[in-house]
Amino acid sequence: MASAATTVGGVMAPAEARPSRSLWDNAWYKLRRDRLTIAAAATLVLLALLSVLAPVFADHVFHYKFEQQDLFHTYEKPSFDPPAYLLGTDEVGRSQVVRLLFGGQVSLFVGFVAALVNFAVGVPVGLAAGYFRGPFDDFINWLITTLNGIPQIYLLLIIAALWQPGPLTLIAIIGFLNWTGITLYCRGQTISLREREYVTSAHAIGATHGRVIFKHILPNILPLIFILAAIDVGGIVLLESALSFLGLGILPPTPSWGNMLTGGASYFVRAWWLVVSPGVMIFLTVLCLYLIGDGLRDALDPRLKTHETH
Amino acid sequence: MLGAAMLVAVSCSSSSTPGGGASPSASTTEKPQQGGRVIEATISDIATMQPILVADTASGRVTGLLYDTLIQVDYKTGEPKPRLATFSVSSDSLKYSYEINAKANWSDGKPIIAEDWLTGLKAVGKSKKTVRKSNFQDIVGFSDYASGKATSIAGVAIDSANPKKFTVTMAKVSCPAIINLIGYVLPTQVFGKYVTDTSKDEIDSAPENTAPTVFSGPFKLTEWRKGDQVILDKNPSYWQGAPNIDQYVYKVVANQTAITNGLKTGEITFGTIQAKDLADMQTVTTVRIDKYQSLGYTYIGWNTKSPTAVGLADKRVRQALAYGLDMDQVIKAVVFGEATKQVAHHVPVQWAYPSGIQLEQYKYDKAKALALLKDAGWTPGPDGILQNAEGKKFNLTISTNSGNTERETLATVAAEQYKQLGINAKAAPEAFQGLVTKLTTGDSTLEATIIGWSLGAEPDPYSIWHSSQIPDPATKKTGFGFTGFSDPAMDKAIEEGRNPSNGDCSIAARKKQYETFNKILNENQPYNFGYSNNVLAVSQLSLQGFKPASFADVYNVFEWWIKK
Amino acid sequence: MRNFLIRRALYAIPTLIGISIITFAIARLSPGDPIRLFTFGINDFTQEDYLRLLHAYGLDKPIPLQYVDWLANAVRLNFGESLIYHREAGRMILERLPNTLQLAVTALVLQLVIGVPLGVIAALKRGSWADNAIRVFGVAGHAVPAFWLGQVLIIAFAIGLRWLPSQGMLTVGKDQLDLLDRLKHILLPAFVLALVGIANYSRILRTETLDVLGQDYIRTAHAKGLRERVVVYVHALRNSLIPVVTALGGILATLVGGALVIEQVFSWPGIGQFTFQAAIAKDYPIVQAGVMIASTLLVVSYVLRDITYAIVDPRIKVA
Repeated sequence: MASAATTVGGVMAPAEARPSRSLWDNAWYKLRRDRLTIAAAATLVLLALLSVLAPVFADHVFHYKFEQQDLFHTYEKPSFDPPAYLLGTDEVGRSQVVRLLFGGQVSLFVGFVAALVNFAVGVPVGLAAGYFRGPFDDFINWLITTLNGIPQIYLLLIIAALWQPGPLTLIAIIGFLNWTGITLYCRGQTISLREREYVTSAHAIGATHGRVIFKHILPNILPLIFILAAIDVGGIVLLESALSFLGLGILPPTPSWGNMLTGGASYFVRAWWLVVSPGVMIFLTVLCLYLIGDGLRDALDPRLKTHETH
Repeated sequence: MLGAAMLVAVSCSSSSTPGGGASPSASTTEKPQQGGRVIEATISDIATMQPILVADTASGRVTGLLYDTLIQVDYKTGEPKPRLATFSVSSDSLKYSYEINAKANWSDGKPIIAEDWLTGLKAVGKSKKTVRKSNFQDIVGFSDYASGKATSIAGVAIDSANPKKFTVTMAKVSCPAIINLIGYVLPTQVFGKYVTDTSKDEIDSAPENTAPTVFSGPFKLTEWRKGDQVILDKNPSYWQGAPNIDQYVYKVVANQTAITNGLKTGEITFGTIQAKDLADMQTVTTVRIDKYQSLGYTYIGWNTKSPTAVGLADKRVRQALAYGLDMDQVIKAVVFGEATKQVAHHVPVQWAYPSGIQLEQYKYDKAKALALLKDAGWTPGPDGILQNAEGKKFNLTISTNSGNTERETLATVAAEQYKQLGINAKAAPEAFQGLVTKLTTGDSTLEATIIGWSLGAEPDPYSIWHSSQIPDPATKKTGFGFTGFSDPAMDKAIEEGRNPSNGDCSIAARKKQYETFNKILNENQPYNFGYSNNVLAVSQLSLQGFKPASFADVYNVFEWWIKK
Repeated sequence: MRNFLIRRALYAIPTLIGISIITFAIARLSPGDPIRLFTFGINDFTQEDYLRLLHAYGLDKPIPLQYVDWLANAVRLNFGESLIYHREAGRMILERLPNTLQLAVTALVLQLVIGVPLGVIAALKRGSWADNAIRVFGVAGHAVPAFWLGQVLIIAFAIGLRWLPSQGMLTVGKDQLDLLDRLKHILLPAFVLALVGIANYSRILRTETLDVLGQDYIRTAHAKGLRERVVVYVHALRNSLIPVVTALGGILATLVGGALVIEQVFSWPGIGQFTFQAAIAKDYPIVQAGVMIASTLLVVSYVLRDITYAIVDPRIKVA
């Protein structure tokens, strides 16, 4: 991890503050040739589009509302006729495919927004702690070691019991718990960057703190943030499903991939299609995000180690 | 057990089917083989082996195997029957006389005597952590003893000539006493030292609570591997005859899925499964499936005092909610037909079930439901949602405890069907712990709640339905009467069934009261009474003599045997 | 160095205090009343009974006061009496701790024994089908929900094939020391728990090995012949294992946390499953003891990890 810091700095043009255009050009060039990453990104965009357009599909393709029940057609096997039974029906005769699309809305929303919260909290705190050091840094350090000192699932367990876990509360809980890893990275990078010559010289010519942080330090840690973000979203999608399994995730009847998978698991033998489809969605999503993370890592800095962040 | 085999099935729809088509239990003439092991699973570890502290099913099961009770309830009818003791009740229902079986001995050879029952009673009096004090409050002198004002309990008299005979005098007539007084027979040679005149609540932390040494039941404790399993070996000197099986293991598993899996693989000898797993279990050729009606029901409770769902205060609206939910279809969908529709409080297997009167069955009738709603002033607004004269929309949140798939599904289905009536209904599962607190404290935010009652052999509905049990947040009064529904005639029937003014505690007399009681509930519908599930008991084909029914399942464990 | 060790160990104290405050606050703030919960449905349970129990369990005192009481006892490893089990909560957690550690350590061994060779093989056979397969696994291993995989494996190996047991640590009635039986029980849960780590290690090792293989001295050794080559490979491998060794502390702790879900799936009687069920039942003393003990384990392993870092890489700056 220490080596990551040096290399990121090493790639930069040391004298002028701006991030080198060539870094991003290079990365883009490499990414375009990385077919796997492109495929992963395309799949992810497709999944996201399908989810976002869920109401349109429900109305115009499947002609089935997501909460619509049919007690006379429970556990229908997957079939093309009617199209709403494409992935079969569940225990109260709802269309699995329509619910899966709406579930994607919820799961992806939670994943991306919670990750956004992570970064909104983690990056500024990390930058500030690393840049200003002093008592603030000590406090942040203490807070992070304390939060990291509790196995995350235990912490989630007791917190999730505190609020009714809906999509928004779940975002809040995960968002405000998961920022520590990002903060640690940003802090570490900032500490090593602020000792560099070009930063000290920027100070010497009278640059303000804000200018130094935003023009000299932040751009340098951006590549890392992108990589972390991809992995973070994937982790949150998985976490949501694990919490659902423990009964602490998003509660039905609001569909999420996690609670659909958990619910379906109790019908493993009776209706395999209820288990397979949400499982595949979660697997695909997380896989794509990890592949994108890997691709970004290779593109932005091939020498960045594959050490895990959590 | 005592003549249980001769009893004709009364009201119980008990049936036994082989799992995968293999032949069911062996013929009764077959001679029991000795040895073998029975493994039962529990989802939470047992809490204690001290009967007076038991508050959970798992601990109740184990203490029931270690300590015999004074009397027992018939496994099919729920009527009290002799076990350790024969009993009689005076005609004014104030005096209960018991005589403990001459053969009944503790595992250390000492006879089981009246003093041992008194030890159990004193332990309840001394304990700060028992939840059973009120069971004994009507015994003359018990309250004084419990509060430390007296050092003996005046109402208990042990025969000076026969230490196995005793009588209990009650301060007032209380019909549930016959069951409540079953009490706890504890070995005085072990627990006597915790209930001396000077002892305080030492009984709560007695080491013998987790490591008992002397037993009266068919099994004795060998080892308790905390969090994993309780190993019980047979009590060779059991007074009804040593059990055929050598060992009874009570194993802790994480969830219902683990029990179902264990029954399939044979890792668990017997247990119950959920209806959704029945079809799958029927393909397993190594198990037998017994069905019997459960002693409880799942219902939707209406908060008749809800400030947000004001419609629920109106009887006609509640009736409409009964007609407007296709319960037969719901039973098919939610529990795969393994339940019986319920239209009042008592379940069919209880003797208190109002079998003698006609109850409205609330057969699904959407038109009638809509008519009743209209009658009550709820008509469709411009958006199709029902509204009253003041233009207030009929919103309805149906809460239930999360994690219970069956109830979550029921909530979802009910919400959807009520939407068809024009009610803006939605299902809202929440964690059990939060829900229970809201219910018992009378939280006004609850509108409709899906939850279940498990009833006991004693049918007294006082703590659920008497008006004194309605919680009131203003005075911090708590109770189970969260619907807020009360009716003077119903109160009267409950009181007469519990503390009859003429002292007549006979089943016939009480049954009359409960007919009135159920009739009022049936008409007023403070609950949509939902359904009473079938219990689906699965056992390995090798297990013989296992005859579970609504009121008891391991009552004859000493007669079970394993076919090799 | 000694100063560093002492400072690092002392540094754990404010952390533990912080953890205790967070744990206590969250456990007590959550809605629901444990007494209500375990007395729900008990006939004739009166308001007086309720108040008596509330007092008996000390739940009628102000929360800050309860915290001080609790902390004073907790440092002496007395976490208070479980509301449900009527036994000392810390002891109940400690009784189950070896089970969790057993699972975690086995999973750790699996991670190393499977993950490390996978990574090395992938690097040595760079570009081959084996390399590609291992790389795909390295990513895919992260993407499978553990509880789901566990359930699938139970259905396949325990119910379908009947090769392995579906639950628990030991067949009922088997000798406690029957290692083969224990091995059969631990195989599936340990594998599922280890999966992410295996994937992770295979990735780390692949990169590290590739890195080392690219160094000049290895290329020279290659030119020099077999004997030399073996010596250097061993040396190179040892170098590339450093990140693996330094990651151990943290990973063991992650395993303890991750074990919660796995324990729940496989009915493994460990602290995770137990704390989870206590949280559902609102048995505060057990939840607090469970979280505190698991956290202490984590904090201690962080200290150990940092010390290992300091030993392995003397350049490390002590923040």
